[in-house]
Amino acid sequence: MSDLLRAPAEIKYAEELDWLESIDDNPKPFSWRLSPKMVRLFILGSERSDGLDRDIAQKWYGDRSFVERSIVTLASDRGLLLIGDPGTGKSWLAELLSAAISRNSTLVVQGTAGTTEDHIKYSWNVSMVIAKGQSRESMIPSPIMTAMETGAIGRFEELTRSTSDVQDALISILSEKYISVPELDSDSIVFAKPGFSVIATANSRDRGVNDLSSALKRRFNFVRIPVVTNKKSETEIVRFRTEELLRRHQIELDVPPTLLDVLLQSFADLRATAAAAGSDDEKLESALSTAEQIGVLEDAILHSNFFGERALTAHTLASSLVGSLARREPEDLAILNKYLHGVVEPRSKAEGGSWPEFLEGGRDAIATLS
Amino acid sequence: MSGAPEETFGELRGQLQEAATAFADGPDALEGILLGLVDDVDRAVREPLEIFPVCHHSPASAIAMARRLREKQPKVVYLELCEDMAPLLTELRNCRLPVAVQSFASEVDGFPAEWSPLSVVAPITEASAEYQAIAYALDTPGVDLVLVDRSSDHVFQWDARAGYDAGPAGPDAPPPEEEAALHGDAVGVEIGDLRPRFAELEEHLLRHGKVRHWSEWWHQYVELPLGDSDHDTYRQVMLLIGSLFRRLAPGDPHRVRVDEDRERYMWTRMREHLAATGTDPEDCLYVCGAFHAASRVEEFGVAGSDTFEITPRSATTWLHGLIPSSHAAIEAQFGLASGSVSIAATLWAKNLRRTRVKPFVLAGQAGTKKPRPAKTTAAPVPDLPASDKLTGFLQQPPVLDRLDEAELLGWSVEIVRAARRNGYLASTADAIAVFETSILLAGMRDRARPTPYDFQDAAVTCIEKDSVPGRRDVRRLVEIMMGGDRVGQVGYEALPPLARDVHDRLAPLNLKLQQRGVQRALLDIASRPELERCSDVLWMLRHLMPGGAARTVMGERKLGERPIQESWDLALGTHQRALIELGYEGVSIEQVLEQRLRRTAYGPQATAATVLEAVEDATLYLRSRRLADELGNRALEVLSAERTVDGAPEVLRRVRRLLAYYRTSEPVLPPWIEAFTKAGYAHYCTLLPTAFTDEDATVRQVAAMLGFLFSMENLALSLGCDRTQLELALAQSHPQEPSRTALLWAAQVHLGHLTREDLRAKCDELLGNPLVVPAYPRYLSGFVQALEPVPGLTDFVVEAVSNAFGRLPDPVLLPWLPTLITTLRADGAELAPLLIREAGRIFPGRLATLDQWVPPWKAQPVPDAGPPAPSEGGGCVLLAAHPASCDALAGLLGCDGTWETAAPDPSGAALVGRHPDTAVALEALLV
Repeated sequence: MSDLLRAPAEIKYAEELDWLESIDDNPKPFSWRLSPKMVRLFILGSERSDGLDRDIAQKWYGDRSFVERSIVTLASDRGLLLIGDPGTGKSWLAELLSAAISRNSTLVVQGTAGTTEDHIKYSWNVSMVIAKGQSRESMIPSPIMTAMETGAIGRFEELTRSTSDVQDALISILSEKYISVPELDSDSIVFAKPGFSVIATANSRDRGVNDLSSALKRRFNFVRIPVVTNKKSETEIVRFRTEELLRRHQIELDVPPTLLDVLLQSFADLRATAAAAGSDDEKLESALSTAEQIGVLEDAILHSNFFGERALTAHTLASSLVGSLARREPEDLAILNKYLHGVVEPRSKAEGGSWPEFLEGGRDAIATLS
Repeated sequence: MSGAPEETFGELRGQLQEAATAFADGPDALEGILLGLVDDVDRAVREPLEIFPVCHHSPASAIAMARRLREKQPKVVYLELCEDMAPLLTELRNCRLPVAVQSFASEVDGFPAEWSPLSVVAPITEASAEYQAIAYALDTPGVDLVLVDRSSDHVFQWDARAGYDAGPAGPDAPPPEEEAALHGDAVGVEIGDLRPRFAELEEHLLRHGKVRHWSEWWHQYVELPLGDSDHDTYRQVMLLIGSLFRRLAPGDPHRVRVDEDRERYMWTRMREHLAATGTDPEDCLYVCGAFHAASRVEEFGVAGSDTFEITPRSATTWLHGLIPSSHAAIEAQFGLASGSVSIAATLWAKNLRRTRVKPFVLAGQAGTKKPRPAKTTAAPVPDLPASDKLTGFLQQPPVLDRLDEAELLGWSVEIVRAARRNGYLASTADAIAVFETSILLAGMRDRARPTPYDFQDAAVTCIEKDSVPGRRDVRRLVEIMMGGDRVGQVGYEALPPLARDVHDRLAPLNLKLQQRGVQRALLDIASRPELERCSDVLWMLRHLMPGGAARTVMGERKLGERPIQESWDLALGTHQRALIELGYEGVSIEQVLEQRLRRTAYGPQATAATVLEAVEDATLYLRSRRLADELGNRALEVLSAERTVDGAPEVLRRVRRLLAYYRTSEPVLPPWIEAFTKAGYAHYCTLLPTAFTDEDATVRQVAAMLGFLFSMENLALSLGCDRTQLELALAQSHPQEPSRTALLWAAQVHLGHLTREDLRAKCDELLGNPLVVPAYPRYLSGFVQALEPVPGLTDFVVEAVSNAFGRLPDPVLLPWLPTLITTLRADGAELAPLLIREAGRIFPGRLATLDQWVPPWKAQPVPDAGPPAPSEGGGCVLLAAHPASCDALAGLLGCDGTWETAAPDPSGAALVGRHPDTAVALEALLV
């Protein structure tokens, strides 16, 4: 097992990537390590009909056309902007893409309100500047600049969280593909090598905070990742991520399929409630994404493992659901209370199974929080 | 004929057997399926009556059909289409395709009543094999077109109401558009429904084909490879696909049974026709879906067994017509991907240019170019025995269409222009990006040439940003660009008589009403009286057709009023289906309206109010006194049978309106309305005591009953009713609930049983009793409702409301205010103006006068002088003093009376004697 808490995709799947690279005889654009078809195979997993000697597991769940469109965009002249609700797997897809294409998914700039142009371009090692003056040695390149120099994929997380002037620094990088360093007298331009591109992610809930300028929009292809509402794919995702989690924590615990169903059903119900709500006060603050489901399950598993009887119960699941989703007092609690009494209670009477225990757990958790 | 020698597929069988052994380790089900497929193909190919398998909306099928028809020139074409639709097909030439042939039955007999109206539609597009067959058969002399599928009646006989579920729409599915609803809720029938019957197979094919939906798979893996293939290859491949889907379809047993019954039906019909006409089966062509071509029923083939008995049709009367259809409607009805039928139409046009196949077009077909005079048709080509084309086809690598760079460039430029027109900030750079991305995407999906679907993905990737600026997104723009939705139109000649009559009668408007879209009609009836007849038609259409078809912008039709100017928004072209369906109900709109009004009046749900509404409509729209009288009598019957008072307010409103109309426009009242008034008076008198105590009846309804009784009283009494009945009814009424009690008091005031002072005292008493105060607002509600039957009490109601505001404590008053406001808003269209006017009269108009203002009811009552004491003689004194006029009158009348002497005391003159100053001053003035 790796001694990293969370290994980046290129390390985690290094062996698989090596193997794919060794058998890949399709044409590769620029300095890509894998051909577009192999990148797709790496992300979406293999089928028997692909005729490979080993199975490649599916790592990202969603419409295959999203992956294809993303790969093709990276092979073209434009940057890729993945846009969607929080927890829809944008960053994970971006990481997988850069790991597969350039074997480096760590060239990341995190967009925040405090991100400055220096984070995107370069900054200076002040003591070296004092000692030796401004030179390439005393320059600290940003992850994006490093990506340019190495012909790799640079990532910009939460692009819309950073301010407009900072965002606009990307315009010249994406169109001219170079960064000029006016402080230097010679060697003052850093050119991008073939294979360089940018994958940015943006949260559609942040729309309107720092809108992208039209000039920047033009230089990105937008791929919108929807919230997974297909129950089958959602089950797959939750199961996949949970297994990974259990492996990482070396926990031996069974997740009964009936509990997984309870979790998925309750999220589906809450989403339906949110869709029918008239105002923001009537819906949970949470986006109710798949990632949040995984979070709830993770919380319940860890709780059962360390404090419970080392078996996941509906009671624990309900308390972690309430604990994770109740963010505002009293609005969120009121919605959850209404949900438990209006939907779960009739269902627990009609269907039985794990629902009565789930209801009990939910009630207890709400009573504790209120 | 395309008969095949014994061992045509021997080699293929051997290969498949080997494959089954290799993959399944021995003979088992796989071998059974694989060899079964070949058997099915073999069986169909050997059939002496040539079977032509087709798939719906498949340009490849259409091209193959056109080619085959020219080669073979069959004398009889059997077509898988409901047999009762045959007479309509020749009308297709008057229409712009796509249109749908419709069977319609509004009065069902033999089916559950809740299924009514029954409707079956079979849409027909130009790019379809069935249209080729129809056009060939109808325009070639000596060729018979025989429809052999079950009739529309059997569609419902065999319908288990299992649901024709088109499947859930995908997450990216665009919102349904207006055109998609063109077929209404009809059941769709389609020639050549060919799609895997179980979801796993379809999912598997889509996954491995790297496509998103079934239409794309078909386009990619069947349509393109079969595009240029010869007849035998086409036929064998289609038969193979049909057989494959059939054998791998565990499916729903009911659906399988219906499919097999249809095959039995079709073969039985064909054998009947062959036997009746003595046609050689080799001169015939049987066009059916590939699924049915691979049938294994006993009745299959010219030599099949005659064991199927066709059940008789039910007694339902079916009517037939053509209705407009559209690509979107077809896609929605049959669960196809959005845009797929349009793409098929574009591909058909392109294939025609490329292959130079000359399609068959019905002579005079609307919406097409005039065909060049047909050359003499080449003689039929004799058939050679079919060889095994399957082996070669299955073994050849996928056909890679060449990259048509110019076409792709054209698309890329075009989509950018379309996007710009729709508000996107798209530029030439985007066109380049779309072009490049399309090629890259096609490459990733193992295609040498981007399909329209790849192009669509590329355009969405490169042009769509975080929001859609206009009404349409890029996906929809691509669909429009690829041919867009095409909406068919039924030509004038193919319309039912009613629709033609409507168009003829609206001709004076000089509008192109057949066209789609909204058109504004301005009717200046005052200067052009002939337009009044158009106005009549429009009002009837407005009543009969769905909302948007005929909408008034200005103008109204009320009893007793004549139109002067009207302005209408008309969309008859858009709602052509609704107009055509009206045509199934009668030959003129008057007839349809009359039927509908009668149906409403005689329906089981009819109430006196709805029947009166029908009477009003009959008078307004049909100006038919005969029908109005008939329906009026029906209203009388319905009223007498009613035991509730739910409709009382509506009945009152309508009877008042009708009475006012008849009083002004007719010399005498129609007998029915007199009878209605009499019956209504007695009816409501009878129901009044119960209504006052019945919890289900609302105050408004009781008020309306009283309104009827009081306002119709004069007429009713003149017709022989007895007022005692009303007085007794009121005496029997003992309401408990405050608002009804107030209503009863108001009624008693009206009848003189209670004076205003009594009423006022009662109210004061209520306000003075702290235990009753909380209920006071409910009394007020009753008084407000009492304005309807007793409008004379308005000033009292104003007083009562003012007292309430003045004296009620806030906790009682404030909760009641919303009730007052909602009552006035809901029912008070007539009450509120009354109250406001009265309040305006009572309250001071200016702020300054408010301080001194005393409400009239609080002002000291002027001491009543009482009636003057009867004085002896009284006014007679004057008469006696001046007897001349009386004497003259008596003389004229021939009386000779004598004058009695009046009392001597001159009452008025005494004052003058005592105070002479005034008289003296007057005398001085006059002198």
